[in-house]
Amino acid sequence: MQKNPSINRRRFEIGKSLPFWLILPTIIVILIVQVYPALYTLWLSFQEREPQGWNYVGFKNFERLFGTGLFPESIGHTAIFLIGYTALTLTLGFFIALMLKRNVPMTGFYVTILFIPWIISDIITGLVFRLMVSPDYGLFSGFLEDRGISVLIDSRPESLIGNFPFPPAPAMIFLILAASWRALPFITLLILAALQTVPSEVMESARIDGANGIQITQHITLPLIMPAMVVALFNLTLGGMNGVGMVFSLTGGGPGTATYVLSYFLYVLGWGQLRFGRAAALALLIAIVNWFLIYLVLRTTRINAKEQ
Amino acid sequence: MSSTNQFSRRKWEERLVGLALLVVCVFAIFPIFTTITISFKEQADITRKPPILFPCDTPEKSFEWSACRWAVEGYQRVFAPKPDENALLGFKLTGNLIRTYIPNTIMYAFASAIGVTLLSSLSGFAFSRYRFKGHDALMTAIYAVTGIPLITNMLALYQMGIVFRKNLPFYDDRIFLIFVYFGFYLPLSVWITKGFFDAIPRELEESALIEGCSPLGAMFRITMPLAIPGLISVFLMTFVNVWNEFIVAYLLVTKNEYKPAMFGLYDFLSQNIINLQVLAAACLIIAAPIIILFLFTRKTFFRAMVEGAVKG
Repeated sequence: MQKNPSINRRRFEIGKSLPFWLILPTIIVILIVQVYPALYTLWLSFQEREPQGWNYVGFKNFERLFGTGLFPESIGHTAIFLIGYTALTLTLGFFIALMLKRNVPMTGFYVTILFIPWIISDIITGLVFRLMVSPDYGLFSGFLEDRGISVLIDSRPESLIGNFPFPPAPAMIFLILAASWRALPFITLLILAALQTVPSEVMESARIDGANGIQITQHITLPLIMPAMVVALFNLTLGGMNGVGMVFSLTGGGPGTATYVLSYFLYVLGWGQLRFGRAAALALLIAIVNWFLIYLVLRTTRINAKEQ
Repeated sequence: MSSTNQFSRRKWEERLVGLALLVVCVFAIFPIFTTITISFKEQADITRKPPILFPCDTPEKSFEWSACRWAVEGYQRVFAPKPDENALLGFKLTGNLIRTYIPNTIMYAFASAIGVTLLSSLSGFAFSRYRFKGHDALMTAIYAVTGIPLITNMLALYQMGIVFRKNLPFYDDRIFLIFVYFGFYLPLSVWITKGFFDAIPRELEESALIEGCSPLGAMFRITMPLAIPGLISVFLMTFVNVWNEFIVAYLLVTKNEYKPAMFGLYDFLSQNIINLQVLAAACLIIAAPIIILFLFTRKTFFRAMVEGAVKG
C-alpha cells in the first residue's frame, strides 16, 4: 500500500485506521467476556461475602482453601487423572498414527470411523459410558460385579501413599477411559500430521543400514516428532484440567468424592456451597498453572519454528 | 527370489496393519453401538440381570433373529408424539427435547458461529495484512486469553448475569449466552483465520489497490472470497463447539424454555436413572445431527483443528 504514492492522502489515512476498526469489535468482546471476568476473579479471591456486601480479607480465602481436606485430595485426583489420561492417549495415539501412516487400503474409511468420538460432546460421552456400567443394568455391570467391582458405587480403596489418593477408585479409572476415548482422535490427528513431515529418505537410509522397525521408531521417528508430542501433551493437560462436563454426567464427582478433580471441586465450591471467594482463589491457581503450560507450548513451538 | 519374498512380506504387513486398524475402529464405535442397542430395547430387557447386548435370546438359543424384541419406547418417550389433526403427519411431537431444547441449540450454535466467523475474519485479516503498533503484543495477549479456564470466567459471568437480569429491563438469557460464546470461541478463531489469510498471497490485493480499489474493497472482493474455505471451517468448528457445550449454558440459563439440548439431556439423566433406553435415545437424537454434519465435512474440520492446535 505504502509502495504506491499515487494513492491519495485521504484514502491512505483510512487505510491506516482500518486495522483498528477491524480489530475493535473482537477486542471489545474479548475484554467483556474474558479479560474483565478474569480480573473480577482476581479481585474476588481476596473478598468475602458479608451481609452488607463484599469485604476485603487478604489471603484468607487461600488459607481456608489450603485448609480444606478436599483441596489436596482434588489435586491428587487431578494428578492421577492427568497422568493416566495423557499417558494412555499419547501412547495409543502414537501407535494408531503410525498405522495410519502406512496408508494401507481403506485408510480413509478407518479415519472417518476413528474420528467419530471426537465430535461427541463430553456430556454425551459421560452418559454413553455411564450406560455401560450403570448399577445392575449396565452391559458390563454383571461382568464387573462378579469380580467385586461396581464402578459407580465403589468408593476409593485405602490409600497406600500417605494422603495421596492412590490407588484410585474404579470410577476414576473409568473416567480416564472415557476421556481418552474422546480425546484420542484429535491427538492421533496431531501426531499423524507430524509424522507426515518426517522425510521418508531418512527412514529408507536407516532401513538400508540395517535398522529394524523398532529401532527406526525409537531413534528416528520419535525424536523427530517430539515437538508435536509435547504440543499434544499440553493440549491434553489443558483440556483435562479444565473440562468438567464428563465428570458431571459420568460420575457427578462420586462415588463420595472419588472423582473430584480440581475443576469439579471449583464448581462445587462456587455453585454448590456458594463460597465464591474461595472458588475464585482456586480458579486463580488453576489459571496460573494454565498460563505456565501455555508459555511452555509457545516456547516449544517457537524453538521448533526457529530450527526449521 | 528375494524381491518376491519382500513383496509378499509387505503384503502381509499391510493386511496386519489393516486388521489392527479395524480392531481400533471397533473399539472406537463400540460405546456408540451399545448405546444404539440400548435405545431400542424394551423396559423388561433393560432391567434384566444379567444384562445382554442384543435382546434376541430365547430359552433355547442365545441368539435368534426372529426372537428379537426391538422396541421404540425410548424414542417414543423422548419425542412424545400426540395425535393432532392439523399437523402434517397427523401427530405432533411434544417432547421438551425436540420442541424446545434442540431448536434452542440450533439457534445458539448458528448465531455464535456466524458472529465468531464474522468477527474473527475481520480481525484475522487485519492481523495478517497490517503491521501496527502493538501487533505482536495483541496477538500474544489473545493467545494468553485462551489460557483462562472457562470455569474461572464463569464466576464473574454468572454474577454479571444476575446483575443484568435484575437491572436491565430488556435483558435476555439467550442474548447474553450467545455473547459469552462469542468471547469464548473468538480468541482461537482469530489465530486460525490469521493463519488462513497468511496463506493467501498479498500480491493479488496489492495489484487491486494499484488499480484504484479501496483497501476495504480489496478485502471484500479479493481476499475474503479466497478465504471462504478457511472461514467455513471456523464456522463449523464453532457450531460444533457450541452444540456440544454444557457448563456455560448450565450456569447462565435460568428459564426452562431457553435451555439448550445438553442442559436438557442433563435433566434427563436425573429423571430417567432407571430408564436407560430413554437416556440412550436422547443421547443419539442429540448427537446424530452433529455426526452426520461431520461425516459430510470431515476435511474442513481437520483443517481448522490442526491449524488451531499447532499455533504458537
